Amino acid sequence: MSRVEFRKDLFADERSDDLNEVGKPTIRQDIIGHVRGTTRFYDDHLFDGLLHMRCVRSPHHHARIRNINVSGAESMPGVRRIVMPSDVPNNLNTLLSLIGFGRDDEPLLSSAKVAYKGEPVCAVIADTERQARDAVAAIKVDWEVLPHVLDVEQAIQPDAPVVNETYPNNLFDYGRFDHQKLRFGDVHSAMQRADKIVEGQYQMSPIEQAPMETCGAIAAPETNERIVCHTATQALFFSLGTTAKLLDVPSSRLHFIGGTVGGGFGGKVDSITEPMAVLGALLTGKPVKFHWDREEEMQVGAPRGAERWVIRDGVMNDGSIIAREFTGYFDCGAYTRLSSYAIQKGVGHLPGPYTIPNVAANVYCVYTNRTPATAMRGFGITGVDFAIESHMDKVAEAVGMNPIELRIHNAYRDGDMKAHRRVAKNTALIECCQVAAQKSNWQLGPQYASASSLRDGGSTERAAIPETAVDMVGKIGERRSSSIAASPAQGTERVPAGQASELLSPLPLQHADMQIEPSRVGHTVKATAPLANAAGAPPPAATAHRETTQPPATQVSTPVSQQSPVSPPESLPASSTGSYQQPPRDQPAASPPEAPAVKPYEPQERFNKGMNRPGAARHLINRRRR
Amino acid sequence: MSIEVKSFDTLRQASEVLGGSAQYIAGGTLLMRKVNYGDQSFNQLVQSTDPALKQIQSQGDEILIGAGVTMSEIMQHPQLQFLGEVARSVGGPAIRNMATIGGNLFAPRPYGDMATALLALDANLHWASGQQQSLEQFLERSDAARDIVHSISVRQPPTGAFQYLKVSRVKPKGVSLLTVAVLLNRENGRTGNVRIAFGGMAPEPRRAMAAEQALQGASLDESGIQRCLAACTEGMAPADDSLASSWYRNEVAPVYLKRLLLQRS
Ligand SMILES: Cc1cc2nc3c(=O)[nH]c(=O)nc-3n(C[C@H](O)[C@H](O)[C@H](O)COP(=O)(O)OP(=O)(O)OC[C@H]3O[C@@H](n4cnc5c(N)ncnc54)[C@H](O)[C@@H]3O)c2cc1C
Repeated sequence: MSRVEFRKDLFADERSDDLNEVGKPTIRQDIIGHVRGTTRFYDDHLFDGLLHMRCVRSPHHHARIRNINVSGAESMPGVRRIVMPSDVPNNLNTLLSLIGFGRDDEPLLSSAKVAYKGEPVCAVIADTERQARDAVAAIKVDWEVLPHVLDVEQAIQPDAPVVNETYPNNLFDYGRFDHQKLRFGDVHSAMQRADKIVEGQYQMSPIEQAPMETCGAIAAPETNERIVCHTATQALFFSLGTTAKLLDVPSSRLHFIGGTVGGGFGGKVDSITEPMAVLGALLTGKPVKFHWDREEEMQVGAPRGAERWVIRDGVMNDGSIIAREFTGYFDCGAYTRLSSYAIQKGVGHLPGPYTIPNVAANVYCVYTNRTPATAMRGFGITGVDFAIESHMDKVAEAVGMNPIELRIHNAYRDGDMKAHRRVAKNTALIECCQVAAQKSNWQLGPQYASASSLRDGGSTERAAIPETAVDMVGKIGERRSSSIAASPAQGTERVPAGQASELLSPLPLQHADMQIEPSRVGHTVKATAPLANAAGAPPPAATAHRETTQPPATQVSTPVSQQSPVSPPESLPASSTGSYQQPPRDQPAASPPEAPAVKPYEPQERFNKGMNRPGAARHLINRRRR
Repeated sequence: MSIEVKSFDTLRQASEVLGGSAQYIAGGTLLMRKVNYGDQSFNQLVQSTDPALKQIQSQGDEILIGAGVTMSEIMQHPQLQFLGEVARSVGGPAIRNMATIGGNLFAPRPYGDMATALLALDANLHWASGQQQSLEQFLERSDAARDIVHSISVRQPPTGAFQYLKVSRVKPKGVSLLTVAVLLNRENGRTGNVRIAFGGMAPEPRRAMAAEQALQGASLDESGIQRCLAACTEGMAPADDSLASSWYRNEVAPVYLKRLLLQRS
């Protein structure tokens, strides 16, 4: 049935294969209904006298609203109600306020200005969809068009128009800084030691999730002053909480029914159609449907945002990458939604699945006059991974190395310290490379064919947090008054080796039963495994929202080994930090690809990525990858 | 505003009420989308049950095709085999069951695959008013007075003389990135009369006149068609859109034309 090949041989001794679902092909629980056409999607719930709601939207990227004239529309046939921004009780929100991240910055209906094409300013509720469309067309908005900015790097220039008044620098705030910093080691001095510097710029376009079922919701009054809402959301309680907040109604009055999503992929998290439909039901006392048509889905449905990454590597002639520097821009669009958070996920992922001793990143969440961006599969990671892997190929060309061997050479291994100061485990990149090489008949040299992610990681050098150079450049607002380079600045102070930041102390457990029991994590844990004894150790995570910026050395007093949730308890031998048993050193890799290559890899053509031709986008790749 | 539908027995009656807020509807594959999306520019749909719309008739080596003949009907008709491949390249089965040959002449880019083929075949239009016009003339004048196309006449090409290629990104039925149609008569191993039409390379299907001239009398091999390929984008105005940049279309148009020309020899 499935063409997935499970390579359970590779880490056979790491987990027992006695799970009922994980690692086995399974039938989607809802697929029978979809195939037979019996699934009831939100739009299949029929209500007598259903009203239809549609928005008046901005035709401009950026404009002030001088006046909205609804007089013609109000008296048109079938029109029940014109919904104005003043009808929204609490007309400012940010999606992640539900987890306390970021400031409220986006109205449900905008009253003062619009900051992207398609932004809604008011809505019509009418008996039929056609009547609602006709009334929308009859509403006249007097726009004062403002200068707009669509490019991330232009948007952070001092003279750029302000897109979003809540973030007047066109940048989301990360602690003290206008960008998310990551510092590990000293990139600047390592670059000076490197044999080669390899630099590349990578641009991703926005990607619309394009679900078959466009976003929508139907809300109808129930008894006891409750409102029932059938919705296509992929985040039911998010949508419920957001609706309760925007409309200022207790969530106990909202009866949300979801769970059947006609394609989501991240595009049905943003919770915009639900508050609109519920607002309509509250204002009219009737069932109301608010449903994006295909054009709206494409124009105002939040996509995966565009990203731009500049990567600079310091490389030795043997292919070792000794320094990697990132300057990243997430195009967040006009309002925050989820890009701010995606950046934190992305930065935690740097420098990709490689062990590089010196890493620095400045990543910007930039407001532009584009459709707000949101989640899509591989949240925060996909864009930068595309950049990193493209760049690995470029590095391989620069040092004349087989690109798969270069990856294995630099791959992270179990026990290595990652740049965000967590010890890597279950790494498996090496094995992935070996299998990929085998499947594509790509020859690997013997030392690469026999490498293992379980061996040679976590040495004193690879497991250590290095002395780290830090800088204080790019404080919030600085960029408005002066031109500051976007790339990571040279460090002015140093944090001693072995120390993480002041902020890495874990939050206390709210309740004892929130302690994760190792026996429930899904891996085989020997009864005597030391981890079981470490139950009193601090829990992982809880640091996700903290800045990873390094403070000046003087502020750090506790060595990280006593503080970090990821470092092993001191009683443990270093080799048993993972939840599996390491094989003896001399054991060969489970299944090394055959036939060692004799001839070293040589590219047939010079590597040539990106192009410079009139009329063509700079970052299109001009040939297919092998 | 509600939509009013008016039906007439003859096309001539129907054509008389057109204009202003009335639109003629054929298969409706393009027009119904406008209705569903609340297009404010019209509120009347005019249709006709005139049997002439569905006729397919031979007159000598000319075939007269009613404007209401659908893509599926073209694919099934024994005398229209030379257009079968073109009809099959339009949309999916549901679209082909509704989409008419007449409506295709009015479809904006990236549509108009059938119109491109008919331009290479030098088709003629017969209007409800009784007037006649070559398709080429009609396409050149976007300000053409609105009337209803009654039928389309086209000469059956000699076997193997007509070639058609639709390039799309989504297989097997995406919209056209560009479309090429070639009518090429051969005389003693050299090319005789040639017509080359591109779809997607200008707002409307357009002939590549310079390329046609360059191919006249040339031998059909790599070096013989060189001048033709070099001239084929002359006078074209491809769009920058979400499918491709105009630069890309200009680069690949000669490549596809070459494949089409050489595949036949
Ligand atoms: C999903 C989808 C896929 C498609 N794929 C393709 C494709 O691959 N290739 C392609 O070429 N097209 C494609 N189309 C476009 C369209 O279906 C075809 O061009 C079709 O031939 C249009 O004909 P119709 O009868 O449906 O036109 P209608 O929608 O009925 O009419 C379209 C316009 O033409 C006018 N019109 C129609 N007939 C006449 C007439 N006899 N005289 C005067 N005016 C007339 C109408 O007034 C209207 O303005 C696609 C459309 C859709 C929705």
